[in-house]
Amino acid sequence: MPDMLPFLRLTERAEKGTRAALYLSVGLGTGLVSLLILATLLVSVALVAVAGAGLIVLPVHLSLVRRWADAERRRTGSFLGRVIPPRHRPLPAGFGARLRATLLDTVTLREVAWLVWQAVAGVALGLIGMVALVGVPSTLLQTALWWMAPDGEPATLALRPVSDWPSALLLGAVQFTVLSALLLWGARPLARLHATVAAALLGRSRVDRLAERVETLSHTRAGALDAHAAELRRIERDLHDGTQARLVALAMRLGLARSRIDEDPEQAARLLAEAQSGAEEAMTELRQVIRTIYPPVLSDRGLVGAVEALAARSVVPATVSVDDLGAVPASVEATAYHLVAEALTNVAKHAEASRAEISLSRIGGWLRIAVTDDGRGGVEEGSGTGVGGMRRRVAALDGEFTVVSPAGGPTRVEALLPCGS
Amino acid sequence: MRVVIVEDSAVLAEGLNLLLSTSGFEVVATVDQAAPFLKIVEEGGTDAAVVDIRLPPTFRDEGVQAALAARRLVPGLPVLVFSQYVEQVYARELLSDGRGGVGYLLKDRVSRVGDFIDALKRVAAGGTAIDPDVIGQLLVRRDSPLTRLTAREREVLEQMAQGLSNAEIAAKLVVTERAVHKHIGNIFAKLDLDPGDSGHRRVRAVLTYLDA
Repeated sequence: MPDMLPFLRLTERAEKGTRAALYLSVGLGTGLVSLLILATLLVSVALVAVAGAGLIVLPVHLSLVRRWADAERRRTGSFLGRVIPPRHRPLPAGFGARLRATLLDTVTLREVAWLVWQAVAGVALGLIGMVALVGVPSTLLQTALWWMAPDGEPATLALRPVSDWPSALLLGAVQFTVLSALLLWGARPLARLHATVAAALLGRSRVDRLAERVETLSHTRAGALDAHAAELRRIERDLHDGTQARLVALAMRLGLARSRIDEDPEQAARLLAEAQSGAEEAMTELRQVIRTIYPPVLSDRGLVGAVEALAARSVVPATVSVDDLGAVPASVEATAYHLVAEALTNVAKHAEASRAEISLSRIGGWLRIAVTDDGRGGVEEGSGTGVGGMRRRVAALDGEFTVVSPAGGPTRVEALLPCGS
Repeated sequence: MRVVIVEDSAVLAEGLNLLLSTSGFEVVATVDQAAPFLKIVEEGGTDAAVVDIRLPPTFRDEGVQAALAARRLVPGLPVLVFSQYVEQVYARELLSDGRGGVGYLLKDRVSRVGDFIDALKRVAAGGTAIDPDVIGQLLVRRDSPLTRLTAREREVLEQMAQGLSNAEIAAKLVVTERAVHKHIGNIFAKLDLDPGDSGHRRVRAVLTYLDA
């Protein structure tokens, strides 16, 4: 229906505009709070200069700034549809070390800069957002109810006094047009401007990012090498103790059967039968080993097809939802596949769930894998639930891994894996 | 019976060739890719095909695609697909046109020469031969309607899905044919299926049901 299209576009625009105006309006509140924090922070700093007492108050204050900034990271991140990672390294123990770490952290400065931005631009843009949000419905009310205004203090529409119906309708229409335009076309760019600046200040600086990355990379690289070596040893052991041993036994039976075939054909037949089942067992075992190295269905069908195959054979009924994933490196695909497989095994073993949901999506340069079940929750790491193994797999790729599992459920296992773009 | 072998591993192709020609089949061609296979099928005169799943150039699921393409050229062309591993999604795709004449087996099954030849004959006659491992995968699901079945009924279903007739199932499970008939009636009732069909349509009904 082509004639429906402009209308649909308009609704979509209105939805996005409303979301943006909401984001800005909430920013008004957070801006005011930021202003307050900023003011008290100045007092703290002044106290340090005047008397030592500030040394005790200041760190408390800065940790408050941290938490406040974290909240905004989540809010702005969810508006922009990307993750703004909290960048703080955990604080060291001990009062002096803690103070030094907080003060020397360049991010602290950036957070203070953000407080200023939020206090100034947040409040100003927040007011505009507020107007955009309530403007349209309130214009309609004002236009309809202009005559209720007390004498001597006439209602105003489009900044002009209203005295009769024709002027009310005309001016109402003007104000309506201006305010809807603000909501439909103005709110989003303003919100994006505000969010982008906030994200730039709250996100990691380049130097920070690089330093942190070097640190985690050297850490995870060592872990990955260990994991890789352990994996090769396991495969070697499986092939050596399992398949190879079976083939030796099989060849031996065949040799025996061959030497016995004239003397004792019955025994030869029995040996041949044994050799045959031995060969079949070896094939079954080999198939299992191959599956743990690189699941064949993954190379045949890619990640989505392979995960759908996992869902199809899951003990607990599972559904799969997939967004456009773009290009995903093979190592990431393999890790994602094993994660889903392990998560589903956990659900079947521990969760007492009736259904599970697998979702795969792409967030910028990250592949997000989430497995949620409606089971009893309370998953603890290290209680033989395989969570530790999943965490190691994700760490080996330099990804992020979280498990949320309150007692009573639901349990959500989520991993973010970098796709190198 | 004129059979085409589509297999890229020379060792396996030779083995299959030997196995089939000594068992009374006429191997008209052995090819290692989908394109020449489809050309032969199009020329006509092929009674059945044995197709490996992984083929050049990409070694992914070309075999499944080739089998489906061949059956679009010649509807109902009996095809036995075999592979180093089985996934129920492939079984579902192969059976989806509902015409029967489909086999889907693990490569391991070739070693049971008699069973393999029987399976190929069943497929060539328009029946089905689905690997027990596929059925096994279906059985683990907790929400599967198959959980309503007794152990014996599951055994019967498993044989049925492999394409065996009632008489063959009776012989295999060492029960009377009447008993098998009764079990099958119960299975259909418990799975809310229309009774009365035989052969591949029973399998299709089961797989379709499980797909829902």
